Amino acid sequence: MKTAMANAPFQHGGNNVAELMQTLIYALLPGVLASLWFFGYGILINIVTATFFAVVAEASALQLRGKQISQHLSDRSVLVTAVLFAIAIPPGSPWWLPATGIVFAVLIAKHVYGGLGQNPFNPAMCGYAMLLLAFPLEMTSWHIPNVVLSGPLAVDSLGTPIATSELEFISPLGWQGLKQSLLLAFPFAASSDINLNDFIDGLALATPLIEFKMASHSALLAARESGASLFARESETAWEIINICYLLGGLFLLYRRIISWHIPLSIIASILAMSALFYAPGSVAIYGTPYLHLFGSATMIGAFFIATDPVSAATTRPGKIVYGVIIGIAIYSIRVWGSYLDSIAFAVLFGNFCAPVLDHYCRPRVFGHGLQAQDGSGNTQRQLGKP
Amino acid sequence: MSVLTQIASKLFGADPIFARSTPGGVHTDAFKQHSLRSRIMSTPIPQQLTIPIGDPKTNTITLLVKPGQRVRKYQQLASIVSLANDHSSIAVHAPTSGIVTHFEMAAVADHRQQEQMCVWLQTDGQDEALVLEGVSEFSSLSPAQITTKIRDAGIIGMGGAGFPTADKLSSAENFDIDLLIINAAECEPYISADEALIRERAAQTLLGAEILRRACSASRVIITIEDSKPDAIEALRDTLASRGSIAIDCTIVLVPSKYPAGSEKQLIHCVSGIEIPSGQFPVQSGILVQNIGSAYAVYEAIVEGKPCVSRITTLCGETLQTPKNFEVLIGTPVSFLFDLCGIEKALTHRSVVGGSLMGRELPNDEAAVCKTTNCLIAAGPGDFPAPTQEQACIRCGYCADACPVKLLPQQLLAFSKTRSHSALLDHGLLDCIECGACDYVCPSHIPLVSIYKESKNSLMARRQDADCSEHWQLRFQQHQFRLKKDKDQSLARKANSKKSETKTEAPEPSKSIQLKQEFFSKDKASREIAAAVARVKARRSENAPGGSKALKDKPPE
Repeated sequence: MKTAMANAPFQHGGNNVAELMQTLIYALLPGVLASLWFFGYGILINIVTATFFAVVAEASALQLRGKQISQHLSDRSVLVTAVLFAIAIPPGSPWWLPATGIVFAVLIAKHVYGGLGQNPFNPAMCGYAMLLLAFPLEMTSWHIPNVVLSGPLAVDSLGTPIATSELEFISPLGWQGLKQSLLLAFPFAASSDINLNDFIDGLALATPLIEFKMASHSALLAARESGASLFARESETAWEIINICYLLGGLFLLYRRIISWHIPLSIIASILAMSALFYAPGSVAIYGTPYLHLFGSATMIGAFFIATDPVSAATTRPGKIVYGVIIGIAIYSIRVWGSYLDSIAFAVLFGNFCAPVLDHYCRPRVFGHGLQAQDGSGNTQRQLGKP
Repeated sequence: MSVLTQIASKLFGADPIFARSTPGGVHTDAFKQHSLRSRIMSTPIPQQLTIPIGDPKTNTITLLVKPGQRVRKYQQLASIVSLANDHSSIAVHAPTSGIVTHFEMAAVADHRQQEQMCVWLQTDGQDEALVLEGVSEFSSLSPAQITTKIRDAGIIGMGGAGFPTADKLSSAENFDIDLLIINAAECEPYISADEALIRERAAQTLLGAEILRRACSASRVIITIEDSKPDAIEALRDTLASRGSIAIDCTIVLVPSKYPAGSEKQLIHCVSGIEIPSGQFPVQSGILVQNIGSAYAVYEAIVEGKPCVSRITTLCGETLQTPKNFEVLIGTPVSFLFDLCGIEKALTHRSVVGGSLMGRELPNDEAAVCKTTNCLIAAGPGDFPAPTQEQACIRCGYCADACPVKLLPQQLLAFSKTRSHSALLDHGLLDCIECGACDYVCPSHIPLVSIYKESKNSLMARRQDADCSEHWQLRFQQHQFRLKKDKDQSLARKANSKKSETKTEAPEPSKSIQLKQEFFSKDKASREIAAAVARVKARRSENAPGGSKALKDKPPE
C-alpha cells in the first residue's frame, strides 16, 4: 500500500493555519465577552453580520477565482478578519455598515491582491478606514442601550455636563437591551412609533480617550469645577476591563507562541514612552495620561491582535520591532495631533506601508556571514597557519 | 553573550567548551526508543550482496577483481578516486566470501544518491576471511601512517555525509587543529545507530577518538552528545572513569536535544562559540569534526586491522514488528533487513532511508545498504501522515524562528516563486543546509525544502548558462578576429605577390604555411588564455561568499 512518493521532511510538527486562526478567535473571546457585558448585544450583532457577509464574500471571491471553496474557507482566516472588523465597528450600527465594510475588506483589500497571504494591507483595517471615510457620522456614534445614564456625569453635544437622572436605565443584557440592539441594527423592522433617537446616547463615543479628546477644554474645566471627574465614569471602568481582557487574550497568544512578543511590546512601549514624554499634569494641552492611552482606548486589541496580523506586518524580528515602534508613534500622534478619533486603523495601515522596506533593511545576519576576520579567539593565526 | 564568552575565555583559556544556546532549531518527537529496546544484532549473510562502489560520473573507478572471481572477506574489490580531487580515494572491500558475478549500476540506500556502480557478489556462506593484522599499540604509529591505514580501510563519514575520513584528516594537516569534536549528537528523529553503538561499545569508540586525535594532532578532544541519551552518556562516563591502561584525554559535552544540533557548523557554534564563516571549512578555524560511527570504524581499522565492510543501521517504523539496530554488511538489500524485522508490507506507506527530516524515500526495497545508510524506516500511516494540501504562506515567521542558519524562509519562498535569483542569493539561499526545520513548523504545510532545492538547481543552471554564453561570446569574438586577420593577410599577400611577381619565386607556400602555423599557435594560445580566464572566474565565483558577487557582475539576460 504505497502512497505517492514524497520528499523530505516526512515528519511534521502539526501546526496548521486553521488551528492558529481558531486559537486567535478563542483569545479574542474574553474581550468580546467583556464588551458584551458592558455595551450589550450590539457587538454580537456586529460579529454575526460581519461573519455572515465575510463568508459570503469569501466564497464568491473563491468561486470567481476558480479556487476550491471548502478547502480555502476551512483555513478560518476570514473569520478572524470578520471578528476583528466587527469589534472595531460601533455597536448599535445599522446592519449595512458592517456588511459594506467587510465586503470591501474581503473583496477589495484581500482577494483583489491575490487572497490569503498576498494582501499588503490588513483587510479588517482597510474596511474600517473605508467606512470611517465614507460614513463618518455612523462610525462615530456609539449606540449603547444603557450607556452611562446612571453615572455621575454626562455631557451634552456641546460638552456641557448635564444631569441624567431623568433618563431611564436599561440593562444592556436584558430583554429590552436585546430588542433595542436588534432594532438599532435592523431599523427597517422598527414600527413607526418608535423613535430610534430615543435610544441614542448622544455623547457615547467610542472610548474614554476619544471623549477626553472631544471634550473641549472648557467642558473639562466645568466638569472639574462641578466636582466630577471624567475618569470616574462607568464607561471608563468598562474600557479598562475590556482592555485588560484583550491583554489577557494577547498574553495567551504569546504563551501559545502564536504571535511573537516583538510587535505588541514595541507598540505598547512606544505609546507609553510617547505619552509619558508629552504628559504634563496641569498643563493646558490635552494629551492624556499614559494610563489613559494604554487602557482607555483600543490599544491592547490593536497591539496584540490587529498589528500582529502576520500577512501584512513586517516579518523579520528586527523589522517587527521597528514596525511596532512606527505603529506606536503613529497611534499616539494621530490621537493627539490628528483629527481622527482613534487611530489604530490608520496607524496599522501606515505600518503596512512600511513593512516591505523594513523586511528589506532589517534582516538578521545569516549564520556565518558578515563576520570580522575572526572573533578574537586567536583563530586568525590558526587560519593563516601553514600554507 | 559575547561579553560572557570573553570573561569565560579569560577564566578558562581560549574557546571555552560548554553548550551554548544556538539560533533556531526545533524540538521534535524523536521516536528512538523502539529501536533501542534490543541490543545491536548482526544479520545472517544474504545470498546476494550488491556492494556500492561509487558514482562513476564523479569518480574514476578501478576494479581489482574480475567477474567470476572468488573473493574472500575483507579482500579489496575496487578503489575509487574522485575526479575533483586526485588525492581522495576510497577502497571498497568484500563483506563476506563469494563469487563476483558482475558490475552494474544499482539502487543504493543513500539519502542523496539514487544509484551507484555496484559489485554483485554471490555469497557462499562460508565467510572465509583474510588474516587481519591489527596494531594494538597505536601510539607507535605516526599521523600519516594512521591516515593511510584509514584510507586503505575505506572509511567514510558514517553520519550520512559520506566524506572520506582520511581526506578530512589530510586536509587538517595544513592547519593546527585545536579541537577535535567527535559528534554523537544524533539529532534527527528515528535514527539511533550512534546511541546504540555508544551504549554497547563505548570503550572502542573512545579508543577510536584517541586514534583520531593522534592522527590530526588535536590538542583537545570532546565528544558531543545530546542530553536526552542518558544510557549512552553513562556508558561513556563509566568507560572514561574506568580506563587506566590507555589515557584518553577527552571531555563529554552535553548539547541540548534540539534538531539540528548535530549539524557540523551548528554543533561547533554550540560547543565553542565559533561561527565558521560561510563557505569555509571548520579545519580552517582549527576544528575537526568526526562522526562517532567513523571513530568506531577507525578503531576497527587500526586496532583490529578490519576494513569497513559493515555498519550499524537503525531499522524502525511502525510496520516493523521488531525494530532494532543491526550490524549490517555493506551491500545487503533493504528488503532482506525489513524481512528480518518482520515487516507488514500491507501497512507500509513508504520506505525511507535516513531520518524523517532529511531522509529520502526509496522507490522500492531493492536498494542496497551503503556505508552512509544510518537508518531505514518502514513507515506506516502513524509515522508519516499523508502530506496535507499546501496552503498559502501567511508569513507567520515560525520558519525564521526555526532556521538554524538564521535565514528568512518566508522571504526565500516569495523570491523562489517569483524566480528573483539575485534576491535569493542576497538572502543567503546557498547557506541553507536543507535541514527541514522550516517545513516541520510551517502551519501552511508548504514543502519549503523542496522549493529551495529547486531554486538552488535553477541558480546553478543559470550560472552555467551565463558561463556558457560568456564562453561562446569569447569564441565568437575570436572567430571574428581571425576572419579579419585572414582577410587582411590575404590582401597583403595579394599586394606582395603583385610586387614580387617579377622579382623572385620565393617559397610562397611555405611562408603561408608558416603564417598559418603561427596563426594557429596564436589561436591556440588565445584559446588557452580564455580557458584559463574562465577557470579563474569559475573558481572566484565558487570562492565568493555565496557566489553572489560573480553572478551579480554578469549582465542580466
